[in-house]
Amino acid sequence: MIIEIGHFSVVVAWVLTLLGIGSSIAALRSRNADWVRVGRIAVTLTFVLLFVGMATLVYAFLMRDFSVLYVANNSNSKLPFFYTVAAVWGGHEGSLLLWAFILSSFSTLAVWLHWRTQPTIMPYLIAVESAVMLGFLSLIVFLSSPFARLVPTPLDGKDLNPLLQDPAMVMHPPMLYMGYVGFSIPFSFAMAALFSGRLGEEWIKVTQRWTIFAWLCLTTGILLGGYWAYYELGWGGYWGWDPVENASFMPWLVGTAYLHSVLVQEKRKMFKVWNLLLIIVTFSLSLIGTFLVRSGVLTSVHTFATDPERGLYILIFITTIIGTAFGALIIQSKKLKSQIEMDSFISRESVFLFNNLFFLVAAATVFLGTLYPLMVETLQGGKVTVGPPYYNAVFMPIALGLLFLMGIGPYIPWRKASASNLKKNFLVPLIAGLVTVVLLLVSGIHSLYALAGGFVVGFSGSAIFLDFGKISKLYANREHVNLFKGFLKAFSANQRRYSSLVTHIGVLILVIGIIASTIYQTEKVVSMKVGDTFSIADYEMKLLNIHEVEGKNWTAQEGVFEVTQDNEVITKLRPQKRVYTASQSPTTESAIHAINMGHIFLTMPDVSADGVAVARGVINPLILWVWGGGGIMGLGVLLNIFRPRRREE
Amino acid sequence: MWSTGKKTSLILSILLVAGALGYLALGNFGENLVYFVTPSEVRAFSAEQAQKKIRVAGMVVKKSIKTQADPVGLTFELTDGEATIPVVFQGIPPDLFKEGQGAVAEGHWRSDKIFHSKMIMAKHSEDYMPIEMKRAGVELPKKDFMKTLSP
Repeated sequence: MIIEIGHFSVVVAWVLTLLGIGSSIAALRSRNADWVRVGRIAVTLTFVLLFVGMATLVYAFLMRDFSVLYVANNSNSKLPFFYTVAAVWGGHEGSLLLWAFILSSFSTLAVWLHWRTQPTIMPYLIAVESAVMLGFLSLIVFLSSPFARLVPTPLDGKDLNPLLQDPAMVMHPPMLYMGYVGFSIPFSFAMAALFSGRLGEEWIKVTQRWTIFAWLCLTTGILLGGYWAYYELGWGGYWGWDPVENASFMPWLVGTAYLHSVLVQEKRKMFKVWNLLLIIVTFSLSLIGTFLVRSGVLTSVHTFATDPERGLYILIFITTIIGTAFGALIIQSKKLKSQIEMDSFISRESVFLFNNLFFLVAAATVFLGTLYPLMVETLQGGKVTVGPPYYNAVFMPIALGLLFLMGIGPYIPWRKASASNLKKNFLVPLIAGLVTVVLLLVSGIHSLYALAGGFVVGFSGSAIFLDFGKISKLYANREHVNLFKGFLKAFSANQRRYSSLVTHIGVLILVIGIIASTIYQTEKVVSMKVGDTFSIADYEMKLLNIHEVEGKNWTAQEGVFEVTQDNEVITKLRPQKRVYTASQSPTTESAIHAINMGHIFLTMPDVSADGVAVARGVINPLILWVWGGGGIMGLGVLLNIFRPRRREE
Repeated sequence: MWSTGKKTSLILSILLVAGALGYLALGNFGENLVYFVTPSEVRAFSAEQAQKKIRVAGMVVKKSIKTQADPVGLTFELTDGEATIPVVFQGIPPDLFKEGQGAVAEGHWRSDKIFHSKMIMAKHSEDYMPIEMKRAGVELPKKDFMKTLSP
């Protein structure tokens, strides 16, 4: 009975989105503010109803109500409580509902938050948000309802895919969707600007926090996915250029380009068409990302069942949204000519221009590599794939270029830089970069990418730290406080700028981690019996014993490995080979020991009947910098979002 | 404001960088394409085709998996119902890799008429048939297909 309430709520919500669109159009035609209020009620009620929908589905999972098809397919009587909730978005239908729910919470929040300050934008905002919502709710109501019953009721559920029974997987999809959906707010404001003809900088300023919030969620989602792949899939890497990873990476790349290029419009009123184009592309790629994952056109660990009808529907929906957006942009683009043009080639404007160029080429590369196989298949019927070596070869130079620009952009003046200015700002960083290269060479590192990476990290890192040092000293002297307090005062006086630089530092740390753990990873696969030892790097791993362990919904063979270095015991690692009871599907659970900012990573993928175990050891140097850098990036964004409001904003 | 010279130099430099990046992205694209084929197609390969890295999609023939200790790996047979090829795999197969189920192996078809692979992908599939195979045109009715796999 409960689940039918959920179903009914979502159907009513679908009707209300129609009302939202209708009332907004009526408001624009009649110029009667009452219609906007009707729209606001529709949006708010949609949120309430979808909340009810989500709640009934969560309830069905908690009650383990296997008479609901979706629950039966994604849960089991022995599934631990924690994962029972995560199972709500463990499959196609539930994750769509989550998408719609997040969208409606964001649009409701946006409507109430900007109601007073942006009255003229409201009807457009409500219309665009409702249109996107309509697309998703139609998909849920007509093609993939999570509320369908299963007759007869099975005794037990099929269980959640064991690979998804993991803490990182609980948070990964919601974060990713919050990122995708978050970009719908700046997108809606951009559409409002286009349709209303109010094409100034206001829509950018109003949505600045929304944009970086969406970016933070998307970044966190991507990193969580990488972290999950790292220890759950057991291959010791965190990024495989899988089509679905690519699907989330494309909006990230263009979104990152966007949040840099809007700065140029804010400060210099340039790049107007460009910024509208970027946010349209970012949100389109978010939708395409969802389409690629949800339609099953891509073969990947993430995709669920294939359903051509669903795929076709999503394709039509996305084409409509993207087509309308681009149409509006083309019609309005004549009005959007910049009044100001660039003064000099050596200026901050041009650094931003190249930043965008690099990000877009990166996005285009991923787009080509991900969708080319689909094109070939449609046109020629053959099936083809693009391998990781391609992406790695293209991305290394692009990433290095971007990191180099990262050291220049914040320190080169707008309009035009003079020679003395360049010398003042970049001589020390240049030397620091070269010193880093020399130090790396001395310590025996000869890989070209590591050296190039060392140079740009040294250059950009020292530029940022010099800046922090200078400004701290300035404030300390002015306010007669110590250097640290001076730093805090300087930071809060210009928090938007300095929090961004914190994010940049996080990026540099992340990149050091990526370079080190990619180039200097060592791996060894051996078969061994109890009592045998194998060595990897300067560690010895001895297999002490293999025994059975039992979890709530799985049984496992656990190997106990003693790790020694120079005859000193460091730790014992216990990798497992699990079999999940309900689905009888095996998984390989890795065991990890953190040492010197890196990881000793061990899996035991196979144990044969006669006691021969296969062990895989991986040494990942500096991998903690990858996750630590990600954390610092997030901290920077949070400091940016929660900065004190200033008068001019 | 702009002088024409500045504008030209800016546009030129953008084109230059864009060209370099474009070359980077497209220059070796073709070499990095890996084609999916069926065991039947592999059997019909010419010597020239055998040079390229490919992915073979098929079903793992029952009772064909044999493990190897050094280097760690295994041998098995991959079939599409019509032709069967032997595969020598070096490394660790994914958890879902099983006899009688769909798998995709990436590697080279060597002159010894054995497929040498260092990467295998396996998929959860309700009907035990990988999407690659359906796309490759293997549309045998499920029952008949399963029959060909039984020993």
